[in-house]
Amino acid sequence: MKTFVWKIGGEAGFGIMTTGLAFSKIVSRLGYQMFDYIEYPSLIRGGHNAYEVVVSDDRVGSSPGSIDFLVCLNKQTFELHKDQLSDNAFIIYDKDEFIPETKSTLIHVPFKKILFSLKGQQIMKNTIALGASLALLGTDLKIFNELISQQFRRKGEDVIKFNEQFAEKGYAYIIEHYKENIQQVLLPLNSESQLVMTGNEAFSLGAVIADCRMYVAYPMTPSSSVLTTLAAWQKTSRMVVRHAEDEISVINTALGGSFAGVRSAVGTSGGGFALMVESVSYAGIAEIPLVIFISQRPGPATGMPTWTEQGDLLFTVFAGHGEFPKIVLAPGDMEEMVGLTTEAFNLADIYQIPVIIMSDMYLSESHSNIKESFVTDLIKNYQVNRGKTITQTNTTPYLRYSDSSDGISPRLIPGVAGSFYQANSYEHFEDGHTTESAEERIKQVDKRARKIRTYFNNDFKTPMIYGNFNEAEVVFVSWGSNKGVILDVQKKLRSRVKTAYIHFTHVYPLKKEAVIPLLNQDKRYVLIENNAEGQFGKLLQMGLGISFSETILRYDGRAVSQQEIINKVNLK
Amino acid sequence: MSTVQDFTGYQPTWCPGCGDWGIGIAIKSALVQLGLSPSSLFVAFGIGCSGNMNDFLNAYAMHGLHGRSIPNAIGMKLANHKMTVLAVVGDGDCYGEGGNHFLHACRGNHDITVIVHDNRVYGLTTGQSAPTAQKGYKSKSTPLGIIEESVDPLSLALTQGATFVAQAFAGDTIHLGQMIKQAIEHKGFSLVNILQPCLTFNKINTYQYYMKHVYKLDDTHDKTNMLTAVNKARGVYEEKYALGVLYQVEKTAFHEQIVQLDSTTSLKDRDKFTDYNQLLPYFK
Repeated sequence: MKTFVWKIGGEAGFGIMTTGLAFSKIVSRLGYQMFDYIEYPSLIRGGHNAYEVVVSDDRVGSSPGSIDFLVCLNKQTFELHKDQLSDNAFIIYDKDEFIPETKSTLIHVPFKKILFSLKGQQIMKNTIALGASLALLGTDLKIFNELISQQFRRKGEDVIKFNEQFAEKGYAYIIEHYKENIQQVLLPLNSESQLVMTGNEAFSLGAVIADCRMYVAYPMTPSSSVLTTLAAWQKTSRMVVRHAEDEISVINTALGGSFAGVRSAVGTSGGGFALMVESVSYAGIAEIPLVIFISQRPGPATGMPTWTEQGDLLFTVFAGHGEFPKIVLAPGDMEEMVGLTTEAFNLADIYQIPVIIMSDMYLSESHSNIKESFVTDLIKNYQVNRGKTITQTNTTPYLRYSDSSDGISPRLIPGVAGSFYQANSYEHFEDGHTTESAEERIKQVDKRARKIRTYFNNDFKTPMIYGNFNEAEVVFVSWGSNKGVILDVQKKLRSRVKTAYIHFTHVYPLKKEAVIPLLNQDKRYVLIENNAEGQFGKLLQMGLGISFSETILRYDGRAVSQQEIINKVNLK
Repeated sequence: MSTVQDFTGYQPTWCPGCGDWGIGIAIKSALVQLGLSPSSLFVAFGIGCSGNMNDFLNAYAMHGLHGRSIPNAIGMKLANHKMTVLAVVGDGDCYGEGGNHFLHACRGNHDITVIVHDNRVYGLTTGQSAPTAQKGYKSKSTPLGIIEESVDPLSLALTQGATFVAQAFAGDTIHLGQMIKQAIEHKGFSLVNILQPCLTFNKINTYQYYMKHVYKLDDTHDKTNMLTAVNKARGVYEEKYALGVLYQVEKTAFHEQIVQLDSTTSLKDRDKFTDYNQLLPYFK
């Protein structure tokens, strides 16, 4: 396996994000696997932005923690990241800005002079730097120029040409001055076509595939790009995308849409979800399907808006006053995000409950590539399953909440002539009318609770196991976005210790008899979570009586690193 | 043709003499006159004595959370804009807990009719001050008299973009029915604020009180003049309550401006999206 890390840094607000994404798309189109990660402060201008891309000829889902090619658009980039440089690292910099003190190979590119000579703007420094990077990595400008054309298509040929010359200058400078340093690490591979997307974009695509017709949101980092992506697509997808006045309006608009018969979803982060919680409870008692996307960031309160954490699991699992069923799913990578999103819409319709997709900043905003055929196959094979949703009824009066052995009542889409009913937030009779009868109360509570048994029988997914569980000495237990780093670590440890990874995606509710046999073996279990309290561990303790003596818990706003898992395993 | 009986659900639980009875009758008669049926109607009910109409008025209805009926109504309209949509709410519901939704719905000119039972007191929670209570009003939650000025809901609606603003009195159900009918017929956001006595908890704003303090707008009132309308609305602070349509203008409704909705097919009924060749290049 051949893997390297390219990283670009500079002042926030000057195009680092666009350049990083261009690099990701270029390596992806060349056939490589990639994973990128951005660091940025909660500011528009000022502060430091960094964009790191891990490139490999094999599947990759996390940063190895070292940098092989560091592009410094300013001195701060070097100062902040110099300790991560690998032994044979290259540094692209401009000696008119600063001179790095390092044993790494220095590649001077006169950003300032080129900008000046071509009358470019600050932001085009990125284009020069990317052109130079591609030369140093041994590939050409073909794909980059295509991306430039795409980006500036509407602005005309002159603008395209103007931008392309910055890439060409950077490229030519390397060929002319650093020919002997060129690394042949980006030779095109024969791979099938790949798509580059973030977790938020993967959710957006999944929602479209699942025939979601209404998405409502209020901007909140790191979930906002779902709103902007779906809004950008709305003329094509014909989804109604509403940016409402607050999160309470958001969820109640979506509940209105869902009641009226369209698949609906909302998206937010922990703080916005806190505002929605009363309405989650309404969805519970009124049995209105809804998909809720939560992208976590470190709390409490405003916390660290642009950093990552898995700190809202228990809050989410227990969100809502009163007792009612809900399902919580946690994808670990882009394939799972697209797939579980489409599944979430089916589960919401089948069980007529809120289904929550848990993401976090790390998964939501990192890009990774997936095979295009994975997506096209999903599009082809996905079946919209609306469960007991009905469009006609012969029953008079129609009983919206009729008692049933599986807990699910036929749900009539409103508008059918001759019928009517209400989705009542009060406890109700089978016909939907308000009641305070003890007998009716018990009937409805039991009916709603029975959905979970049905879910366990029909749709609960036992966690995936990576590695040979029977032979494993060390068993990692985790959920959601930690999947990438754990799979990468398993590869690194392969020659030294046998490991397995139990990856939970269907994190709540947990089917006890399916999960316990995985966790009560005579193994060295290590619980890995991106939070301080080991929240999933607590959930396992509470529901299954299982506890962990070894944990890796990270809560500094950064994702769990390969090295800290390796250190933990090596400790014994 | 539907009848009042078609819309009639369970026997109401309101106090004898409550203004809600008159409002219930006026709504049903307006619906019948408009040729609507329980199956062609969405209603979002709030929580309160007004919201309790949920069990007495037949429709495809959401009896949701306190304050949140307006976004429920907006969602229903967007999903199936061929249905008529009402929000039946109270003053605390709409102007207190859900005040933010109210002003933004006015702004959006969503094609919904908001019918507010304004009795200036919280009845269902047994007698606390409402946002429309008069300054100094003594209640269980404000035994020394409420310090805030009352909300002026009509001005609020007028200045935030509502395209139909009317006021009626629960003691005059014929006029009230006319207001509701006109509001439903209006395309865009319509408000009917109903002055309503609460016999049990509000001993100030009684039937007698309103008989003395209300007046009907006559033909000379210019419904298209916002400043005149605001002037009439501000009469609330001088205990002069205008009844009738204060303001009405034609503007394109929210759902009519959503390009992906067409006039003939609702969002619910349109075909599934399939043209992924338009989307996937975004990721390459």
